[in-house]
Amino acid sequence: MSSRVCRTCGGSDIDVDQARGSAVCTGCGSVLEDNIIVSEVQFVEGSGGVSSAVGQFVSADGPVKAPLLGSGFHTSVGKESRAQTLQNGKRQIQQLGSQLQLNQHCLDTAFNFFKLVVSKHLTRGRKTEHVIAACLYLVCRTEGTPHMLLDLSDLLQVNVYILGKTFLLLARELCINAPAIDPCLYIPRFAHMLEFGVKTHEVSMTALRLVQRMKRDWMHTGRRPSGLCGAALLVAARMHKFRRSVKDVISVVKVCQTTLRKRLTEFEDTPTSQLTIDEFMRVDLEQECDPPSFTAAQHKAKMQQLEQELAKKLDEVEGEISCYKNEIETELEKSRPKLRGIYAAYAKEDNREVLSSPSEPEEAEGEDAEFQAATQHLTEDFLCQVIQEEQGRGTKGDHSVSEQEAEPEKEEAGPHRQVAPLTSILGKLESAASLSLQQTFQTTDTSEPGDQSQNEELDLEGIDDQEIDKYILNEKEVQVKTELWMKQNAEYLKEQKEKEERINKEKEEGTYKEKKKKSSKKRDQIEASTAGEAIEKMLEKKKISSKINYDVLRDLNRGTGSPSRSPDHTPDTTATRKRLNRRRRRKTSEPNQDLAANTSIMGKSSAPQAAPLPVEEEEEEEEEEEAEDECISALQLVGGQSRF
Amino acid sequence: MDSSSDEALDIIVTNVVATFRTRCHLNLRTIALEGSNVIYKPEVGKVLMKLRKPMITASIWSSGKIICTGATSEDEAKLGARRLARCLQKLGFKVRFSAFRVVNVLAVCSMPFAIHLIDFTKNNRPIASYEPELHPAATYRIKNLKATIQVFSTGSLTVTGI
Repeated sequence: MSSRVCRTCGGSDIDVDQARGSAVCTGCGSVLEDNIIVSEVQFVEGSGGVSSAVGQFVSADGPVKAPLLGSGFHTSVGKESRAQTLQNGKRQIQQLGSQLQLNQHCLDTAFNFFKLVVSKHLTRGRKTEHVIAACLYLVCRTEGTPHMLLDLSDLLQVNVYILGKTFLLLARELCINAPAIDPCLYIPRFAHMLEFGVKTHEVSMTALRLVQRMKRDWMHTGRRPSGLCGAALLVAARMHKFRRSVKDVISVVKVCQTTLRKRLTEFEDTPTSQLTIDEFMRVDLEQECDPPSFTAAQHKAKMQQLEQELAKKLDEVEGEISCYKNEIETELEKSRPKLRGIYAAYAKEDNREVLSSPSEPEEAEGEDAEFQAATQHLTEDFLCQVIQEEQGRGTKGDHSVSEQEAEPEKEEAGPHRQVAPLTSILGKLESAASLSLQQTFQTTDTSEPGDQSQNEELDLEGIDDQEIDKYILNEKEVQVKTELWMKQNAEYLKEQKEKEERINKEKEEGTYKEKKKKSSKKRDQIEASTAGEAIEKMLEKKKISSKINYDVLRDLNRGTGSPSRSPDHTPDTTATRKRLNRRRRRKTSEPNQDLAANTSIMGKSSAPQAAPLPVEEEEEEEEEEEAEDECISALQLVGGQSRF
Repeated sequence: MDSSSDEALDIIVTNVVATFRTRCHLNLRTIALEGSNVIYKPEVGKVLMKLRKPMITASIWSSGKIICTGATSEDEAKLGARRLARCLQKLGFKVRFSAFRVVNVLAVCSMPFAIHLIDFTKNNRPIASYEPELHPAATYRIKNLKATIQVFSTGSLTVTGI
């Protein structure tokens, strides 16, 4: 205790009595403090004469403020978010870990990892499920238990690559170096599952040797360890005269048939496969093989080389042939009658054109026509520009962008559609068309000298316009394509139309919500006294589908002895609407639990259903609505339905 | 990891990904109907257009953003992007070529020897990571270059990054 000075006499000799909780000055006797907070352990006698200490254990990283004394029963009330997260995580780890049969030490380590992850804020943006699974897998790897990532993903029904991504990220952030997977770890586990009986141990040993041999033969780098194990176990089983087919093995090992067969063929290619069983057990070959993909690649390379040589030889032969061909042609030319006068010049021009434009041989033929068309186009283009000018003046005021104000010739959104069909109507006038657009370009360029450095305008250097125009279809082709596309996507277009109509209707009604996607309506709680009643009410509300065996349901009802049957008169429209709004329910194991869960999910009932109707009538209605006839058991029903 | 000293290892750039913006709204339906080598995906909301000369596939969104993939060099990517913008211009859109940026470059290289991935990963922790259940290659990330190298056991390497 800190020595204080007495107020009355100034003496510093103060006696603090912990038991009574008082501080008294020994000089003058004045009481300085009463009711000091004591820190002693107190004992209380419980039932049966048992004395227990008063107080609670508080963890170091628990909530900052102390839990309320007196409301000690509800420990989860009033805790901080962090503590809740950790508690939730711990619970999930326990649940998942027990399904994997991990011991308590592993689960504690996993929880420690989880605490680290949470403190580094790595859980943000990730599902807790994934993070938990990754923590558990980390533990499995560090401890060396024979659990695969595939097992975890099977339990959670999550894509294994997503889990793998999370796992890699966590391992990197927590700087945990998980040791590499050894296929030898999996062998005892798979051997057990394949039921070899007494000889399991021997088969495992043989399989282990095989795997080690595979390792030395470079078969295992880059491959899933489970595939190798599968192949090794298959061979080992056969060696010990057990008949295990490929199907049995793949159901245990979780790889597909093709993979297993491939591993077996690869093993066959190694020299070890040539040994007999006894030899294999005794001798270990010295040489190592190259990895199979390496040999495959080399094989490919050899084939390619062979092909190249063949091609070269072909070229040589072809060269000779083309020589002969040219000679023949020249001879023919000489023998052909020569064109006279203008046409000769014309013919030469044609040839030149052909040489100069290698990509457009057709152009040479239409050159004459092209000139005419070009003149036509220029006049049309002029008309086009005039139209644009007029429109430009009209819409000038609307432009907000400063660059475009001064340019009436600039293309705007309106005349776009005019210009496009014009150019397409005129057919293949590539050079002229590009010229016109270039003109508009240059005019805009000159108007903004300052913007050149920004270069938002397209630099046309090195662009072959002729080729680009090939990418654009002419009008006829556009029509054909439009028809085709409309036919192909008729469904989608219809959907879009309906959606639009719906939105318009709702806009008129004033109930249009911008984001319809995330509107989750709260379900009404069904109040039911027995399970049977709950089923009844749920049926009324949901009007689920015909995939329900109503007879079994009825039996269930009768079995639990529900007193009242109270279906309602809810109109069909509300039923259909509720059907549309139905959410997916998770699968859980026990029917009773599910019933309770279902009733809570269903939500509050709008009005308690009073008037009883025979259940059969309702079921008939429902059956009439649907056309299908499948029946499933009640267990499956309560396991979760989500379809209409 | 040391490169062989006798022969030069040639790295081949196989893919360059670049993006640019046209700064104008594009009507995907028009493009889909009037282009001769386009695939329209209305569910995703984009049009795939393929060019032949620089072998390029471009994803065009209606907002005017375009991603250009498949080029074998940066210059080719720029050329292809410009070609594409030209094509869109001809279709009648008010296209401007802005914010051209190379986003990713992928190159392949091949070692003449095979690589033992497990030892490699052990010696290069934590920069390298190898997960045989997920991917057959080991990933080696160089932070300051922002590059990722995938090392396969046959000796081939793929380098990606900006």
